[in-house]
Amino acid sequence: MSLSPAQQSDNGAQPLLQVSGLEVEFTTYGGIVHAVRGVDFEVNSGQTLAIVGESGCGKSVTVQSMMGLIPMPPGRIVAGSARLRGEEILGRNIINGKDIRGNEIGMIFQDPMTSLNPTMTIGAQIAEPLQVHRGYSYQQAFTHAIELLEMTRIPEATKRARQYPFEFSGGMLQRAMIAMSIACKPAILVADEPTTALDVTIQAQILDLLKDLQAETGMAIILITHDLGVVARLADNVAVMYAGKIVEHGSVDDVFYRSSHPYTLGLRDAMPTNDPERQHRLEPIEGSPPDLFSPPAGCGYAPRCPYAMRICQQFYPEKFPQSDSHYSGCWLHHPQAPQHPERLYFKAENQ
Amino acid sequence: MTELLATKQLTKHFKIARGQVVHAVDQVSLSIAEKEIVGLVGESGSGKSTYGKTLLGLHQKTAGTVTYRGEVLPQKYQPADFQRMATRMQMIFQDPYSSLNPRMTVGEIIGEGLKLHYAQDAISIRDQVAEWLERVGLEADHMSRYPHEFSGGQRQRIGIARAMILKPEFIVCDEPISALDVSVQAQVINLLGELKNSMGLTLLFIAHDLSMVRYVSDRMAVMYLGSLIELGPADEVYFRPRHPYTEVLVNSNPEADPDIERQRPSTSIQGEIPSPVNVPAGCRFANRCPKVMDVCREITPELIPLADLDRQVACHLY
Amino acid sequence: MHQFSAADFAPLEPHESLHGISRPSLSYWQDAWIRLKANKRALVSLFIVGLLLTFTLLGPLMWPVDPGAQDLEQISQPPGMDRSALIVPDYQPWDGSSERSDVSDLYLAETATTQAVRLKWDALSGAAGHRVYRNIFPVGPEQAFGVPLAEFFDNNTLYFEDRLDLRPERYYYTVVALNSDRSLSGVFVTLAVNVLRVTSLTDAQERGLVDGNTNLAVGDQIDLALHPLGTDYLGRDMLARLMAGARVSLFIGIGAPFLFVLFGMAYGSIAGFLGGHIDQVMMRFADFVVALPFLLFMIMFKIAFGIGPGESGVFPMLVALVILMWPATARLVRGQILQIREQGYIAASQLLGAKTNYLILRHMIPNTLGVVLVTITFAIPNAIFIEAFLSFIGMGVAPPTPSWGSMSNEGIKTMLTHPHELVLPALFISITVLAFNLLGDGLRDALDARMRNTE
Repeated sequence: MSLSPAQQSDNGAQPLLQVSGLEVEFTTYGGIVHAVRGVDFEVNSGQTLAIVGESGCGKSVTVQSMMGLIPMPPGRIVAGSARLRGEEILGRNIINGKDIRGNEIGMIFQDPMTSLNPTMTIGAQIAEPLQVHRGYSYQQAFTHAIELLEMTRIPEATKRARQYPFEFSGGMLQRAMIAMSIACKPAILVADEPTTALDVTIQAQILDLLKDLQAETGMAIILITHDLGVVARLADNVAVMYAGKIVEHGSVDDVFYRSSHPYTLGLRDAMPTNDPERQHRLEPIEGSPPDLFSPPAGCGYAPRCPYAMRICQQFYPEKFPQSDSHYSGCWLHHPQAPQHPERLYFKAENQ
Repeated sequence: MTELLATKQLTKHFKIARGQVVHAVDQVSLSIAEKEIVGLVGESGSGKSTYGKTLLGLHQKTAGTVTYRGEVLPQKYQPADFQRMATRMQMIFQDPYSSLNPRMTVGEIIGEGLKLHYAQDAISIRDQVAEWLERVGLEADHMSRYPHEFSGGQRQRIGIARAMILKPEFIVCDEPISALDVSVQAQVINLLGELKNSMGLTLLFIAHDLSMVRYVSDRMAVMYLGSLIELGPADEVYFRPRHPYTEVLVNSNPEADPDIERQRPSTSIQGEIPSPVNVPAGCRFANRCPKVMDVCREITPELIPLADLDRQVACHLY
Repeated sequence: MHQFSAADFAPLEPHESLHGISRPSLSYWQDAWIRLKANKRALVSLFIVGLLLTFTLLGPLMWPVDPGAQDLEQISQPPGMDRSALIVPDYQPWDGSSERSDVSDLYLAETATTQAVRLKWDALSGAAGHRVYRNIFPVGPEQAFGVPLAEFFDNNTLYFEDRLDLRPERYYYTVVALNSDRSLSGVFVTLAVNVLRVTSLTDAQERGLVDGNTNLAVGDQIDLALHPLGTDYLGRDMLARLMAGARVSLFIGIGAPFLFVLFGMAYGSIAGFLGGHIDQVMMRFADFVVALPFLLFMIMFKIAFGIGPGESGVFPMLVALVILMWPATARLVRGQILQIREQGYIAASQLLGAKTNYLILRHMIPNTLGVVLVTITFAIPNAIFIEAFLSFIGMGVAPPTPSWGSMSNEGIKTMLTHPHELVLPALFISITVLAFNLLGDGLRDALDARMRNTE
């Protein structure tokens, strides 16, 4: 039975977005790639969920399939559901007469240089969702676009709205893209690696901006990233993905301070910390992720896990709750598991 | 410690159309000692990659000199110069996908250096290639395979083997891990560290990930828009930065620790990184600096050593 | 819930070979070949190209007929295997008398043969005269009678002998009544006639259709020369001509591209590698060559080279094509070189001490080969078509050297009556060009995927 970390939100309301059992595969010339193999998570208003993982873990495919951005001939949603306020959105573009993409859920992408149309002015591009989803006239929408540019702290917004993408720097393009995605005041903003292509000082500005916008508008943010620093900065809840599945899910404090999955621990150990007191040696995770053409029956991390047991190879781990908000998909938490490696967090009663 | 390599006022400008000049590297003076790891950080437009390439002769120098063990290196390299320096200075490249010739086998790629230098027979070359493959954590029979069959991290290891097979003394690592996943980055960093120790190498480690540079380096140098603005021991520069830009850079660096991040104030820096084309007079950071003074806009600060610390800073505050 | 035993939780033995690679090692070309084979269309095209090459190279060995030899017995013969002819007495003029008669208004006086078709008719009602027409298509409701053969403006001549260009086919003769003002009245009668192939005894012996020793007599059936694809308007065997034309077309179509691609590759590499002013000058010269009006210059070259009697004009055409078409390849290769120059592995080789020649030959050129191969595969159908077109307008290879293009041109004259003379060479041109184009498509897809090498 799956526990949703956000079910215990303050007002006990139904989660804004609920994804369960999502499975996505791709037919390629080399065979079928099982990119996403059963993913569950929830997002609440005003909160940020970070989906962390390395390349190939399926984090991008998860949100893209939810948004209907995966071309369905090679891709296929095999199973699962995604419910926005209780209504199923997988495979559908409109619910209750309102568009989902661009309207209820906005999205920003990794490389701002290639995500904007080079032949349209920035103002026109930001105005577009307003014209399409809200029926604004071009003038109205353009004026609104200038306001949005100001909201995303672009100086000289009026002048900038009439410029073309090539006249903007990377950071400013990302702000423009954010402006475009929040134009229709979406309930959720999906940010797919929004700062990976940016310099670190610009990244800091963009992350601050996202945080401020969230506070102002109350929207939820789903953040896809591989950078644990960015996660620590922005996220309220974290889902760690590996080989198409979520291996650990909890609040940001749970996942960082009470890491209960060997992969989470491995990721943290592989990064240098800047704690003047602690000088630890970088511990890489040897090996590479499994081939998703023939995914393993058991835990995908087993070949690289220092604590792997026989059962890990045979059966996929159940979700073991560590608290109401936190679970780990690892057999080490099974009552019968003998070892309790020191560095992993275990619930008190299991020890 | 003996000085291995030093650049004095090294400058590299690129002319682009209509009389505009890109000031990629401007009068950078840096001395690197034997067996030292110097980390070079900066954002886009800082010129750190260009500096590394100019150092090795891949770009012609616009001005300034590079000395290697006292010998002044040529301003423009001919193939013979590369040939001569190949056993002393090498480079590890950033993009593992374009730094290996897709039409050559791994064995040919790694063995190329030997073939170009020593008149050795095929068997001897093959043995050395096998040895190096194992040394970087791959297997000897990988040498008949092609680069596209390997992952990013593995290709980077191949690039490392290629650079090291001629047993150079000095290696410029140009963003060697930026294109790799987190867990793989650690593998490559550890490998570099190991090889550095066993071969007594001197490294110039160029990257934009501050945490990684601090972890790896003995000394850290910070560049902004082509100028070297701070230099000192890595931990010192990171935890006690002196230049306002370094301060901002360090503060912007997100830490994988939620408590720390919650306490971190919003970034104080405004504006965008300017373009390195036609750079204005005065300190290049003046238009974004939170501590800017009038003099900063007129006079370009020199890199001067601080009296009480082992540090050099280019800032009018000092 | 599943029950587990303690043994299930025993530690796992460490896996060996974390770096295992499961699939076998493939070089660039092997991988491209596999991709090509998977592409059905490309495979079919490759097969067709193979057939074509066999046709051209081995065909003349299996069908050793001289493409210039004329078979006057079988002019404009449609494709078919039927070639028997009856021996008949030599031609004698006719006076209109006949042994037969028939109740029909229009009938044959004797069996219709390729020597003569003799018609007789009864006077049509109200006719002041009669006109005889012949058609190869049936006369339909629109009353398309065909070719007028003769007119008799009196009521006494009620017979006609047709000797005009007779073929062993089915003709439709119509006799129409004429009014006194020589206009056509609505009264007519039609007869369908199957013409038998015959040859006279004298002709047979003179033209060596049989050995001199054989005793030929009237009434014997002999076999004329076999022309499986028919003959053209001069009686030349189509199959042999097509094979000869294939030789010309493929020689120019494959030879010219190879040469100009080779030259373009060398030119482009040098320009791309050296860069700077030299590159600019070289490319401006290439632009100049592109700006020359192609057709005009091809014609000029032809005239300048001059085709002497007996020469085929193949070499001048080849040279002209090479001279005018290399710039496209040069630009393409130069672009590739400029891109490759920025790749890390070039700098890495430089640092290892590689010399310029080594860099170009060992690193740059091999990485352009994929693009060059695709260029050649598209240049071939282009060259074949240009050659065909030029020959078609008379500016190509000189007759009697056959070329598909000139054959098509000749075929136009008999397009309505003997379409095979046009259709066959045109079909060959179309299929060849299509096959090479599809092959080029397939090759580009197969090689492109490898070139776009991402993680």
